[in-house]
Amino acid sequence: MVQLHFIQPDGTRTSIEAEPGRSVMEVVQSNGIAGIVAECGGSMACATCHAFIDEATIEKIGRSSDMEDEMLDFAATPRRDNSRLTCQVTVTDALEGAEIEIPAEQH
Amino acid sequence: MNDPANRAASGCPMSAASRQFEPFEHRGMYDFLASIREDVPIFHAEQIDYWVVTQRDDIEAIMPDSERFSAAIATQPIFPWPETVGALLKDRDFTNEAVQVACDPPRHTRVKGSATKFLNIRQFMGYEDRLRDLVRGYIEKMKGQETVDLVEAITYEFPAQVVFLLLGVTDFDPRKIKAWGDLRLHMIWGNPDEHDLVQGASDLADFWDYTVELVKARKHAPQDDYPSLLFEIRDGDDEILTENEIRSLVFGLLLAGHETTTNAAGNIILELMRHPDQWKAIVEDPGLAKNAVEEGLRYASSVVAWRRQTKEPVTIGGVDLPAGANLLLSLASANRDPAKFDAPDTFDITRSNAREHMAFGKGLHHCLGAPLARLELRILLEELSAAFPRMELAEDNMVFTRTLSFRGPSRLPVRLNEDR
Repeated sequence: MVQLHFIQPDGTRTSIEAEPGRSVMEVVQSNGIAGIVAECGGSMACATCHAFIDEATIEKIGRSSDMEDEMLDFAATPRRDNSRLTCQVTVTDALEGAEIEIPAEQH
Repeated sequence: MNDPANRAASGCPMSAASRQFEPFEHRGMYDFLASIREDVPIFHAEQIDYWVVTQRDDIEAIMPDSERFSAAIATQPIFPWPETVGALLKDRDFTNEAVQVACDPPRHTRVKGSATKFLNIRQFMGYEDRLRDLVRGYIEKMKGQETVDLVEAITYEFPAQVVFLLLGVTDFDPRKIKAWGDLRLHMIWGNPDEHDLVQGASDLADFWDYTVELVKARKHAPQDDYPSLLFEIRDGDDEILTENEIRSLVFGLLLAGHETTTNAAGNIILELMRHPDQWKAIVEDPGLAKNAVEEGLRYASSVVAWRRQTKEPVTIGGVDLPAGANLLLSLASANRDPAKFDAPDTFDITRSNAREHMAFGKGLHHCLGAPLARLELRILLEELSAAFPRMELAEDNMVFTRTLSFRGPSRLPVRLNEDR
């Protein structure tokens, strides 16, 4: 299992143990963590599962590219260098201890 | 009639609901749902042999669950077509197949992966200026008139013109597409007689032929549009997408891309006209249009019910159902469930959680056109409120189409009250 930490816009932290292989979006939704809407269900069509991932982790897993990168321009909370769409981030050992910040707005 | 007052006379609320439910009648629908929702999470609608699910929690769990519930029934005719219709369609080489809305994984997932390369918020937002120009064009034609039917003048055609933009079509009558769409809805979600169906099937085949020709043209001379991009993604590989799947996707867009938006626009503007203080609020602050769209979709969804079929025995609302049971998920009821929304029967464009409605469904089948519909509706409100700030209803005697799933006013007469 991989430990992930989620930080809400008000600073609230939640830590969960995630099973490798699923997307971070799916993990968030099945653990009842608020703020990741994921309206399209993970098809990269809506940009409502946006999150900021800590720099150290981003270095390991890589930044957004291609279509995901273009979609992030339409995220409701302005993107930053460490923005990702969580439907496109798979839980792996590289995410161990990741700090994932949930943006204030998703749409 | 869906008259809640009749309920008192009966004993069991579930069988009373079964008796009172009129699947094709839209008048009184919300009152009926409010009267039963708490006591009757599910009831059987004899006329159509569907189990109607009324509570938000249940509907929210069923919609994304493709393991236990199949979406294949979503676009099947409510009343099966006679053999003559099937034979006619086969004769005319009508090979439309379920690729998205009425399709389960894994095929659904594969096709969706291609469709969303075009049907996504990034692509849609690129059309914003052209959409606004279209709306302004319709508004110019309305100016100077005292009374206008907004359905006739703008909301009927505009979404069809938007679909043509996506398809790169510049030379076709939007009224023809609308007529084909109306017909298809009536054949599948209405209660047509055999004569209507046979006539309808022939028109449906014309509609399909049009699609086939359009797709063929893009295959040979690609443009910057949806079918051309689908061919590029396909790259000759049936494992990615077959040519017939491309035709079916385009055929699907030619219906799904405008009927529900026309109805949603009518519903939202109607409620704003019925609540002049809220219309005035948008006139004064157009920034409110975005949430007004969401509240309109919640309060008066243009899709009031959607279908699933059980794949295995399940229990819903305390009722055990076998595999193969037909479900009618009342989105209208989910959108007014007090468990989710405070004062659910109040129309309030400043409602903070309005966007949590289910007008676009939920999960894997969430409407791919949702960002486009939202954009079209917002632009309509922004432009109409700027052009006709004192617009008001000329009459409030709405007629709704008699279909199971779709709701929208067929006319919307307003006085423009322009400054002279």
